[in-house]
Amino acid sequence: MQLNGLLHGARLLSHVDFPTPEVLGPDASEDAIQNLIDRHGLVFIKPVFRGGVGKKGKAGLVGKARTLKEALAEKERLYFCEHRHGNAYAKANGVTFEAGVPAEEEVYFSITDDTRFRAPTMTLTHRGGMDIEELPKSDVATVPFEALTGLKAFVVANALSDIGAPKEIISPLVQHLPKLWELVHHYGMTTLELNPIRMRPGSGGRLTPVACDFKCGFDRDDPRVGRLGLPSQLFASDVSAFEQEVNQLRTHQGQSDVFVINEKGTILAPTFGGGANSLVTEVLGEAAIISSDFGGNPPYEKMKAVASICYRHFLKQTNVLFIIGGKSNNTDILETFRGMGDALREHFAANGPTPLYVVVGRGGPNLVRGMGNLAETLESLGLPYRFFGFDSAISEVVNYAKRVDEWMRKGGREEIAATLGLKAAAA
Amino acid sequence: MFHQGIQGIPYYLGVRSLGEIATREDRVCVLNVMGGESRQVTPTSHAFSGGNVVFGTSPGRAGQVLRTPAGDIPVFNNVREGLAAGHAFNTGVVYLPPSGVRDGVAELIRVNPGLRKIVIITEKIAVHDAREIRAMAQGNGIDIIGGNCLGVADSWNRVRIGGALGGDHPEESLLKGSVAIFSNSGGFTTTIAQYLGTAGWGTTTLVSSGKDLYIHYACPDFARAFAADDRSKAAVLYAEPGGYYEQGIEWTKPVVACVVGRWKSKLTRAVGHAGAMAGSGDKAEDKERWFMQAFGVEGIFTPENPVVSAKGAVVTNIADIPAALTAVMRLNGMAPDFAPRGDLALKPWVANDQGLRLPGEVGLPVVTAPEPYGGQIAALGRQVGAVVARQNMKDKSGASVMDPKTQVTSVHGHEVLDLALLPLEACFALPLVHEIASENDRVMLDVAVAAEVNLVGDPILVAADAARDAGNAPNAVMATAAAIVGPKRVERVLACTRALIDAFAHSGLRRARDEAFDTSGVVMDAATRALFLATPEEAGDPRPEAMLAAIEARGGRSAFLKYLKGLDGRLSRDAILAATATTIAWGPLMRKRISRLTAETLPWYLRLYGVMVGATIPGAHHQSGSLWGIGREERFGRWTMADLCFLAMTGKKPTPEEALPLQILIGLLISNGPGSISAQGAKGAVSADGPQTPGRVQINKAMVGFLTHTGYSHGGNGFEGMAFLLEQFKGTGLTDPSDPGHGLDLKAMATEFARGYRREKKASKEVGAELRALPGVHHPIFKGKPVNHDPRERFVAEYMAKAGRYNVFHAFYRELVQALYEQGASPYVFCVNVDAVIAALLLALLWPDYQAGRLSERDLETAAFTVFLYGRMIGSAAEIDDHLNRGRNMDTRTPASQCGFVV
Repeated sequence: MQLNGLLHGARLLSHVDFPTPEVLGPDASEDAIQNLIDRHGLVFIKPVFRGGVGKKGKAGLVGKARTLKEALAEKERLYFCEHRHGNAYAKANGVTFEAGVPAEEEVYFSITDDTRFRAPTMTLTHRGGMDIEELPKSDVATVPFEALTGLKAFVVANALSDIGAPKEIISPLVQHLPKLWELVHHYGMTTLELNPIRMRPGSGGRLTPVACDFKCGFDRDDPRVGRLGLPSQLFASDVSAFEQEVNQLRTHQGQSDVFVINEKGTILAPTFGGGANSLVTEVLGEAAIISSDFGGNPPYEKMKAVASICYRHFLKQTNVLFIIGGKSNNTDILETFRGMGDALREHFAANGPTPLYVVVGRGGPNLVRGMGNLAETLESLGLPYRFFGFDSAISEVVNYAKRVDEWMRKGGREEIAATLGLKAAAA
Repeated sequence: MFHQGIQGIPYYLGVRSLGEIATREDRVCVLNVMGGESRQVTPTSHAFSGGNVVFGTSPGRAGQVLRTPAGDIPVFNNVREGLAAGHAFNTGVVYLPPSGVRDGVAELIRVNPGLRKIVIITEKIAVHDAREIRAMAQGNGIDIIGGNCLGVADSWNRVRIGGALGGDHPEESLLKGSVAIFSNSGGFTTTIAQYLGTAGWGTTTLVSSGKDLYIHYACPDFARAFAADDRSKAAVLYAEPGGYYEQGIEWTKPVVACVVGRWKSKLTRAVGHAGAMAGSGDKAEDKERWFMQAFGVEGIFTPENPVVSAKGAVVTNIADIPAALTAVMRLNGMAPDFAPRGDLALKPWVANDQGLRLPGEVGLPVVTAPEPYGGQIAALGRQVGAVVARQNMKDKSGASVMDPKTQVTSVHGHEVLDLALLPLEACFALPLVHEIASENDRVMLDVAVAAEVNLVGDPILVAADAARDAGNAPNAVMATAAAIVGPKRVERVLACTRALIDAFAHSGLRRARDEAFDTSGVVMDAATRALFLATPEEAGDPRPEAMLAAIEARGGRSAFLKYLKGLDGRLSRDAILAATATTIAWGPLMRKRISRLTAETLPWYLRLYGVMVGATIPGAHHQSGSLWGIGREERFGRWTMADLCFLAMTGKKPTPEEALPLQILIGLLISNGPGSISAQGAKGAVSADGPQTPGRVQINKAMVGFLTHTGYSHGGNGFEGMAFLLEQFKGTGLTDPSDPGHGLDLKAMATEFARGYRREKKASKEVGAELRALPGVHHPIFKGKPVNHDPRERFVAEYMAKAGRYNVFHAFYRELVQALYEQGASPYVFCVNVDAVIAALLLALLWPDYQAGRLSERDLETAAFTVFLYGRMIGSAAEIDDHLNRGRNMDTRTPASQCGFVV
């Protein structure tokens, strides 16, 4: 759950009265844009991306305009532009028009929880507007602070002294930056980055920090995010329809992040335990449809509901239903297997059978009762299966599931379809 | 602001050595001890650790206790009450829901000055709360483990605190040895310990750290305590991407680090975890590099490329941990703690190939699981057949379903259209064994049913004739016969079937026709053997020998029959029927496709099939040794089910040309799903007997239920289409309906009818009368397009065309729908529906006899009804068996609140 840009950022910053430039959204009229140019001389045109997209300037995706014509041309160029960073890909949908802020000084500021200190940590430099990684360490202050008391003015002042910041920026930053902790801590953020903050001279030469870009990450486990009243579709690019549906069932009891690895995969692997999830996803590679962790002892109803959603979205394309986990510590195997088995039975009843080979690798409480229950279900559905206990290496079981998938691709699927009385076309 | 613990660390850390993390002296208070997870886990922890939990809290539950094998744990409303009651503790365990964790930690810290450690099990704690928890603990000098972890355990001290390390049998995994484990994954903490055991390595202290953003007891803390713990000679770490906890650690003893999660960096978008936003250097690859630098190795350890140093090794697969550790320790001159326990090779415990021929690498043979699991699995194996959960089966069926779009019904996964193309004897077993019968089974079934059809000398025949003479429709005649085939009439054959299943269930017999199977291990006592032998009263029944001879002659094979033939006595007809039924049911039963109940009751259905077909033949034609003039030997030895049904309807054996349409007709009529009236009748009859006491359900009465729920509107209406065709073809001189060169101008006939129908339509509109419906034309589902088709009609038409068969009546119907449209009698081209196909096929079959005057219109009507009953008899058997297996007593009734009263 990440957010970038001033379209929404400016509104969030207004919660703590942190200054921002004037911003117009994608639906701004030409009159409004002209008016903005008239008052500020220069406007920046930036694409609107969902999620956490950085380094737009470097990618040439920040436009500048001093006339309406230029502004509209940049709008056209950037409205649906594409952005790649590493494997991450984003497509814009809209632009913002942001008033230019005249300034001599630019500041970088962020708050995040740093695992090196295990504390909220401020990163601050007066050499803002560029990549923080490219600056000499002496110019950057990285300062952990106490979570219970928060980011205090003296912490900011000390940091600015340490890095030798120009004296005219110290007082305005000491006044304004601590407010940002309130935004981070009380609205469920994990990260906030303002880069650049431009130091705008006001009457009498006093500088005011103005946030000219905005990035933040939210903690999906923190209900405080709801206080901001952000529309949920802001985060929709983060998730597929399946993920959205299945993650609605996310609670503290069982089932962590579930996401789609390969929409065209052929192994559907409900995985139990974070470690198993990592291992399974890594070894299955492209064959995996989803990456999931359903551990944490989910109750029967929840397991059945989660399994139903998985089946509804992906069972048709699935060659191998692969239920996999280590030797569970407290997840009840009978309850979870019964949930998945009953969901499968109901799916077959509603949608008809589909050729499937079921592989299980599991250990834990009520193991054999769980296996027996699932076996009965699979037998009544006429599906072939192989169940491994915890004395087979989990990675070998994963490789076995891949071998079954191979066999299914090379004709096994048709063979099972035939035993289920399915016509080849339907299979 | 932190409380100073160990000197020289810029934060608080109290645990100096791993040996201090979980000790026998630790006393524990569990917050939310009565929560779902704690209730399961805490009793095992408490008992394993010698009773270390002094009390738990659960607001509003003071006075209750949590029962454990090591005595009850008292429950208080809050920590203060527990302390006031005299229970001192130094360790808190938090099982609270996420929103309550921070406050629980505050409670523990503020209320109990003796607190030293907290283990937080809860997952999905907000980062906001984790920050504050960290700050509180640091300021007050408390060590925290977790959150989102499974706690800590110590194999030397036999203690576990917090979560469920080692599962419900901690002693199986927590084997005393020399290796410490620190793992981001709770599940893998136990799994790694178990894997180490396969290479002979036991454990000292196991720490499940959790992998939230805030890891309160993290890798550097572990490294320090590991260095100070003399018991621990080596450590195994399991780490996932995110966070810098593993960076820059100076390890003082050998370590095997497993880093998993490279796939995460291949994702096309960020996945919530520490540092994901900045995308900075804490990916799996980075962590591998940190460890490789720390250990001075150049690559990842794999069995093929075992890269190790005396300092350690890096693996990316937890299965490689034991080998890597052994290799590292060898360089340090250290041998495993004990002899290896088990191995990690692939060992399928339970499998079912459903009769598929799997290649070797897929069809791995099942191995016996270690105890106690092996014994439990063996107990499962002794369970013969499937077990089906009972539920309310009103308007539901596990046997049949009609696709609302195509209106095509499937029975046990087989569409009736496909069944229509199979020999009848293949379909007759389907409802009961859920599979299409094999060639061998068809032979067995043909003979078994043929032996039941001739009812000479049986009171059934008298009753059936009396019913017929009283003017009843064929369903009532059949019902009269079925009513007599009550429980006593099948008592012995069912007992025989049960005895065969008992005797062979665990014999290892897989294929029922495997006559080479060695039955020397099959044991049967004298009383049971006697069950199968003919009694002196049966001495005059010639059928057993005739059946055996027929099966032999037709190449039928049965391990059961072969076994029974060795019993040294004359077999009864019941014995042969039981062996036949068991042969047919055996495969599905062993594969757990069907229940034992279904297999045991199969002979009842087979007998009913025979009697119901037999009852449709008037009594005069049942003679000793001959039915409608056909000798026993011929019927048993060569006739099929289709032949018998044709004989019952026409008094003669069909030619192959005649047998096919009959087979298609019966196939099409097998089922229309559980909503049809006939199915409802059958299901209601089962429900009323009470399927939860299956032994009391009268299957013959359920057949009567089906039969009484058919009638002139449901079943008998098949004649309407025939009557319509008779009217159209009256006086045309048609002799052979299957001859395309019939010389009739079908188009002209259809056009003429359509013109008349249009006039009729107009006239009835003017007077506001209801227009007569045309049988066989139009369908409430397949309508509204310019040209409409009933997919079932098209299926049959295409099949017949492919087989080079012609049917003039069917052809006429196709002309008719066109003509109705062309003449303005229909708004679009109506479909020819499946009823038209049935009428056309049946009329063509009976046309020669009708033309010759051997059959009257009344006979045609009876034939149409009878053929419906034959088909539906199969479908009803499926519903009866399904309801018997799945249903609940009286589950088909409708609650009074859903019933209406009409005045």
